[in-house]
Amino acid sequence: MTVDQIPEVAERPRAVAGTGAVRSGGGSRTSMTARRHRAFYMFTSPWIIGFLLLTIGPMAYALWLSFTTFDGISPNWRYVGLGNYQELLSDPVTWDALGRAGLFAITSVPLSIIAGMMLAVLVNRPLKARGLWRTLLYLPAVVPPVGAGLIFKQLFNRDSGATNGVLNFFGIDAIAWLDDPYARYVILMTVLWAAGNIMIISLAGLQDVPRELHEAARIDGASAWRTFRSVTVPLLSPVLLFQAVTGMIASVQTIMPMLLAANATPAGVTSIPQSNYMYMMHVFAQYFALGRYGYASALLWVLFVLILIATGLIFKFTSGVVFYNVDPEAKK
Amino acid sequence: MHAHPGAPPSRRRFLALSAGGAAAGAAALSGCALSTAGAASGGGSGESITMMVKLDDISPELIQQAQKELGIRITVVQDDITRLIAMLTNGNPPDLVRGLGAMDAPYFAARGVAEDLDPYFAKSTILKTDDLDPANDVWRFDGTTQGKGPRYGMAKDFSQDAMFWYNTARFDKAGVDYPSETEPITYEEWLENAKRLVQRKNGQTTVYGGSYNGVNLTILLTNLTAAAGGSLFSDDFSRVDFTSPEARKALTWYVEYAKTKTGPSLIQPNPDTWDGPTYVANRMAMSGNGYWLGGMINADPKIAKISRLAPAPVFEGGPRLSSCQAGTGMWMPKKARNKDAAWRVFEWFFGEAPAKGRAEGGWGIPTLKSLRPLMPQKEDYQKRVFKAQEAELKHFSVTPFTPYVKWDGMEALINQVMPAAMNGQISVDTLAGRLNSALNEQLKRGKEQVG
Repeated sequence: MTVDQIPEVAERPRAVAGTGAVRSGGGSRTSMTARRHRAFYMFTSPWIIGFLLLTIGPMAYALWLSFTTFDGISPNWRYVGLGNYQELLSDPVTWDALGRAGLFAITSVPLSIIAGMMLAVLVNRPLKARGLWRTLLYLPAVVPPVGAGLIFKQLFNRDSGATNGVLNFFGIDAIAWLDDPYARYVILMTVLWAAGNIMIISLAGLQDVPRELHEAARIDGASAWRTFRSVTVPLLSPVLLFQAVTGMIASVQTIMPMLLAANATPAGVTSIPQSNYMYMMHVFAQYFALGRYGYASALLWVLFVLILIATGLIFKFTSGVVFYNVDPEAKK
Repeated sequence: MHAHPGAPPSRRRFLALSAGGAAAGAAALSGCALSTAGAASGGGSGESITMMVKLDDISPELIQQAQKELGIRITVVQDDITRLIAMLTNGNPPDLVRGLGAMDAPYFAARGVAEDLDPYFAKSTILKTDDLDPANDVWRFDGTTQGKGPRYGMAKDFSQDAMFWYNTARFDKAGVDYPSETEPITYEEWLENAKRLVQRKNGQTTVYGGSYNGVNLTILLTNLTAAAGGSLFSDDFSRVDFTSPEARKALTWYVEYAKTKTGPSLIQPNPDTWDGPTYVANRMAMSGNGYWLGGMINADPKIAKISRLAPAPVFEGGPRLSSCQAGTGMWMPKKARNKDAAWRVFEWFFGEAPAKGRAEGGWGIPTLKSLRPLMPQKEDYQKRVFKAQEAELKHFSVTPFTPYVKWDGMEALINQVMPAAMNGQISVDTLAGRLNSALNEQLKRGKEQVG
């Protein structure tokens, strides 16, 4: 088969030349374009339908709910306009929960990025059984969050947990890990335990750093730390930015470890230690324990807007420090 | 503008089509929700019902049996309040729904979503009203007060949940006198016993002195206040008052119980999550549970032989009350689609083979008086427990609960406020004030919605 016999390749020069659709071959070009469009829409439509059905639809419904006192069952619910949003602004429990979620994000995101990057640097070195180490360090990230949460709950139980068993062995009295002030550290540990996810992404980024740059730095007499700081980190910065943004979005919405540490019933979610009563636990309690669908929906919309603002701010403040390794020739 | 044949769809048209697809998908998902929701197998007559229950309420074998005997196809949906609300909202509720009569009955009845079952009971030859135990009155609601008016459901079995079990071997070891099996001790004596019975090592509790948390904290505090001679709710059930002398007495006792850490509480959760496994493992000297726990205790004759059931404690100078805090059973939504078939399953579940099986197992007192002789009385220890339970029935009463707020909502607020007092950070008076403020706000919202 010659090149001319391949329809798509044969058509391309005419399209680029901009000869229009009127002259010879125009009909087949239109049909080809239509076919391409159809293919595009066919492939994207499951996502778009899913997006409309499972994202836009529920979001619009939640927005409508946020203007009501709807509780799902009572006959006399009513529209309250911005009443739920006004109440939210003056609700100290909401602000405390948001503050705890923010603090958790500020602590857990940098810690997990640093931990993940350190592990990535470690397993990027020429170690013996490197593949095994990479697998072992990544394994915790593969454990389903429910399993991980339950394991931690058992490990840190005051009366029956292995952690206190070890402490007792050394003659130290048992600690109520799942109560304040220790409970927040247990939750932090569950997050750090799964740093293998970040390790894998950082490792991919590290392997993309050109070896010549490291060699040049070494020839120039740069120390290992200086090379890491001035060569590796800048080249990893887009990866780190990605991890910071997705990590921030995920951490303010963290709910699973707290839910699992609690008595996971609608009423039980408020029985967790106060330091772990974060924003999404508050939303969960408002929806499912108190039946305040309207107020809880307002809480979710406010969180959505806050996340958008925080994401925008992260992009704004990091624009000068994130280095995108774009080939200038590719732009031409 | 019309698109010519063969032209690609415009973006606007494409999005409109996608939206249409999404809507159709939503409708399809809604339509198939029930058939994918639970386990089901074929029945004979073509009638079918959906039951929302906990999966251990009714075994797959019993469902098979029901389908065979009644010819009704039964689909079981896992009990879940959010799913129930979704099903009620879209007008396609289950035909029978599990509920805690002592707390759920007024809530659903006041919102007009529960069917008045009086006409069904009047016609029934299996569930005769004169055979119904008074415990079923927790499922009655007259529009204001629980315990009176039409029946909206029925309890599958019941217990007088303020009673408590105790382990005589633990009492012997600690040198504590056994509580009487006929005369109640006071709550203060109960707590003193718990303090002497608790065992700790290296900061860990190895044996709980006693557990007293009720079916949940909300109903426990309601009942403790009644036992102190008062009422937690105002006459119209639209407010609570934790500052009344009786409620304060109840609150003080419970906070003291939690502070002593002799038993599980919000600040000392039980790793087993509930008393049953801990008591049977010989790691709990007293457990504030009623007769129903006997089902689990009797399964281990070693523990059963050293266990006793004692009457509900009283407060000094307070009345002797022994109410049912749960009365777990079922109700029928007003918009149920297959009410007649649902009633036949209801009669079978509450009056026939499953009811007899429950009575014989000792998992609660049967709610039909005629089934009471089936309660386990073969062994000496079973006879002893039966006797104590029979004597306690004389003190049964219904402690009415508010129709305005679901118990989960009250419980969630109590859980949030209580630990500070249990940890000694705030006084009982401050706690009472905070509870009033949080719960009354929620009750006010609930009252507005009921209308």
